[in-house]
Amino acid sequence: MKPSISSLYQAIEIGQEIPPLLIGERSNPNGSKKFRECLLADDFDGCLRIGLDQEAKGAQVLDICAAYVGRDELADLTHLVKLHAESLKIPIMIDSTNSDCIEACLKIYPGRCIINSINLEDGGKTLDRVCRLAKKYGAAVVALTINEQGMAMTADEKVDTARQIYDLAVGKHGLRPQDILFDPLTFTIGAGDENLFDAAIQTLDGIRRIKEELPGVYTLLGLSNISFGLPPAARKILNSVFMHDAIEQGLDAAIIDAGKILPLAQVNEEDRVFCRDLIYNRGQDEEVSPLMRFIAHFSERVDGDDEEASDDQRPEEALHQKIVRGDKDGIEDILSVLLDRYPPLEIVNLILVPAMRHVGELFGKGELLLPFVLQSAEAMKKSVAWLEPHMEKLDQEEGIKILLATVQGDVHDIGKNLVDILLSNNGYKVFNIGIKVPAETIIAKARELNVDMIGLSGLLVKSAIVMQESLPQYREAGLDVPILLGGAALTSDFVATSCVPNYDAPVVYCSDAFAGLKALKDFEAGQLTATVAAPKNGKPCMKPGVKDVNIDRSQPVPEPPFYGLRHVIDIDPAKLFPYVNEQALFRGRWGYRRTSSSSAEEYAELTRSKVAPLYESLKARALEEGLLQPKAAYGYFRCYSEGDTVFVEAGEDIMAFDFPRQQSPPHLCIADYYKTREEGGDVAAFFVVTIGDRIAEETKRLFEADAYHDYLMLHGFSVEVTDALAEYWHEEMRRELGINRDKPDDMTGYVIQGYQGSRYGFGYPACPDLDAHGMLFKLLEPEKIGITLTETMEMVPEVSTSAIIAHHPQAKYFAV
Amino acid sequence: MRYICANCGYTYDPDQGDPMNDIPPGTAFADLPENWVCPLCYATMDSFDPLD
Repeated sequence: MKPSISSLYQAIEIGQEIPPLLIGERSNPNGSKKFRECLLADDFDGCLRIGLDQEAKGAQVLDICAAYVGRDELADLTHLVKLHAESLKIPIMIDSTNSDCIEACLKIYPGRCIINSINLEDGGKTLDRVCRLAKKYGAAVVALTINEQGMAMTADEKVDTARQIYDLAVGKHGLRPQDILFDPLTFTIGAGDENLFDAAIQTLDGIRRIKEELPGVYTLLGLSNISFGLPPAARKILNSVFMHDAIEQGLDAAIIDAGKILPLAQVNEEDRVFCRDLIYNRGQDEEVSPLMRFIAHFSERVDGDDEEASDDQRPEEALHQKIVRGDKDGIEDILSVLLDRYPPLEIVNLILVPAMRHVGELFGKGELLLPFVLQSAEAMKKSVAWLEPHMEKLDQEEGIKILLATVQGDVHDIGKNLVDILLSNNGYKVFNIGIKVPAETIIAKARELNVDMIGLSGLLVKSAIVMQESLPQYREAGLDVPILLGGAALTSDFVATSCVPNYDAPVVYCSDAFAGLKALKDFEAGQLTATVAAPKNGKPCMKPGVKDVNIDRSQPVPEPPFYGLRHVIDIDPAKLFPYVNEQALFRGRWGYRRTSSSSAEEYAELTRSKVAPLYESLKARALEEGLLQPKAAYGYFRCYSEGDTVFVEAGEDIMAFDFPRQQSPPHLCIADYYKTREEGGDVAAFFVVTIGDRIAEETKRLFEADAYHDYLMLHGFSVEVTDALAEYWHEEMRRELGINRDKPDDMTGYVIQGYQGSRYGFGYPACPDLDAHGMLFKLLEPEKIGITLTETMEMVPEVSTSAIIAHHPQAKYFAV
Repeated sequence: MRYICANCGYTYDPDQGDPMNDIPPGTAFADLPENWVCPLCYATMDSFDPLD
């Protein structure tokens, strides 16, 4: 008699005349939501119905799994096996790694079943036990090609591991070759992971060679793994083509949803070509990768009868989707199931990291917005944190290490921290050593930690100079690791022409955190090169601004209510919200931008249903918890201009504020908007405002608690409320000066400065130099409202802003 | 079609053009020079979202 398995009612040959033997995969709480819900509700009849349904749809064997966190696997599985043994005509496969559960089921099952599964991950201890049981009860076993080194990726490794298992199972335990179904493992080729580009080829080779080199054994695949991460309709077709080709190589059995596989004849020739280009990794060197071609080809396809598309999942895929969706809920349950099957490090490297890379690709294509990427990173972080206690101490020497710092004098760290979040959750080791870090410290740390790369960040114009000027120091210190530079004031031209020549290893400009991630991938691939200058269209960026050259000298000087300084510490935070630039907050700070694929209506819906409510809840929370403590130090001073300088009279002192003049027409300078002594002098108004350090502390706390999404949201909120305070206080000062007749109707009016005069922030394009803060702080004494200066004249807390106010109607923004 | 600057909220309206950058009325966003930047915050064109 040919090798068969059997139920109480029938026997079925493992080697089918028309392979493969179809093994139903949905009676599994980790793969089917419906099954899970039934199991958790102790609805065993409901579980049975799912099995009967699969039988009706063509399954020839039913895989039954009951491993689920918080449940008693032994009790559940034996109960289910008993129930299925009576009602199901087809035989079953016991899906468990617990030898006690396996034995209990073997004892009660009235036929010959298959045990799923054994491997060599623990060196053979469990394998020995389960093989003895298989021998004793006459069961067949599924053997996964996993050994102590991990999952077999190449055909060679797959065959070697299969042979090791074969030698033990057959040689030591006396099983017959025909009692073993080898599963050489299927990895997804649908997630764009370059380590897996040839995974399908390796698996197909593995099947062929296992059959050739270990005569008599059977092969099996968990087939739908091949297409993780792809849309359901495309998966069905790829699964079908892959199964067909696997059968040609000798595949005997497939664990799959029997209802969701197509005969090859139903797949048209063109579809087959795209599937096979992907499976056999054809044309990888072409401009569009086989995966991208595949996705594009099937992008319009909808699977009509896919009523349970997202439910029909194995745990590997469920985890992948949790990460991609940024859904942390219940992720531990999936992890605990996977931990029974894989070493923790492989869960990280083969499921979690590829899922995060997929997230990065989706962001790159404009299909995923930054806040959602951060939610994915949170799910990733939670997964890794959950797995960590199960891992042996991670070898610190393994993997790529990068040091991150905000440069000396700069307190801004949102950019650096986003890089940290992305890199550390993409499998890189990140040492984030904080803000205001002097080059000497960075060099010493880089040596001590033996990092592979350094990432420097800084928002200020000054920070760009710090980076440029400190690079020779890195070179003299003998460092030879690549240095990544990021920050608002940097451009690729600046980095290419002013930074790259100052250092011997590549210096690379990163326009955002994702560019940093790409740089690390390039480094890994040995392809990281220094940034080269590529000005847009061969020309530098335009310099927009007012084109007026003739500034009216007859403009009356308004009378301020007082001369000197005042401090205001009781500003009502609720008054600031109408001045918040919601567009800048939602799109710019938060990253809720309209993607290329969404319509105006879809974006409006996103704003209405998600972003605006989030904003409302943050406002309410900020008021409730007293997170906003707006304060202002401001004053009015007699002044006069002379050339590019505004001389400000403060009591006995005269302070000279030098402002830069545009190099090109119309050659504007802030001093032009103030009258000279001869013209009768003028009034200069200044302010320094802050929303206080409580919100900054709370922001920091969120980052440290790995609440990445909330961190970005609160940080963006604090930045825009700070700007709103500046807008509000500027209006208060216009009111005090009696020049507030043209009050803008809405936020757009403020954006375009639809009011008299202008305010110029120190450190911004019309007066980029922060050194004026020294004099400004003497004028306004903002230390008394809790604002201090760093050694590079930056204000702390970060949520502070300063300005000189010009009342002249022609005064508007410009850049020098 | 109008475009909005994600960094500062400035709206580029082709009917108005952009006098701060010497862009005449009637210039579509797609026809702006590559080195055009936001007249208010100097963000580059990739910071703009379609509005309509």
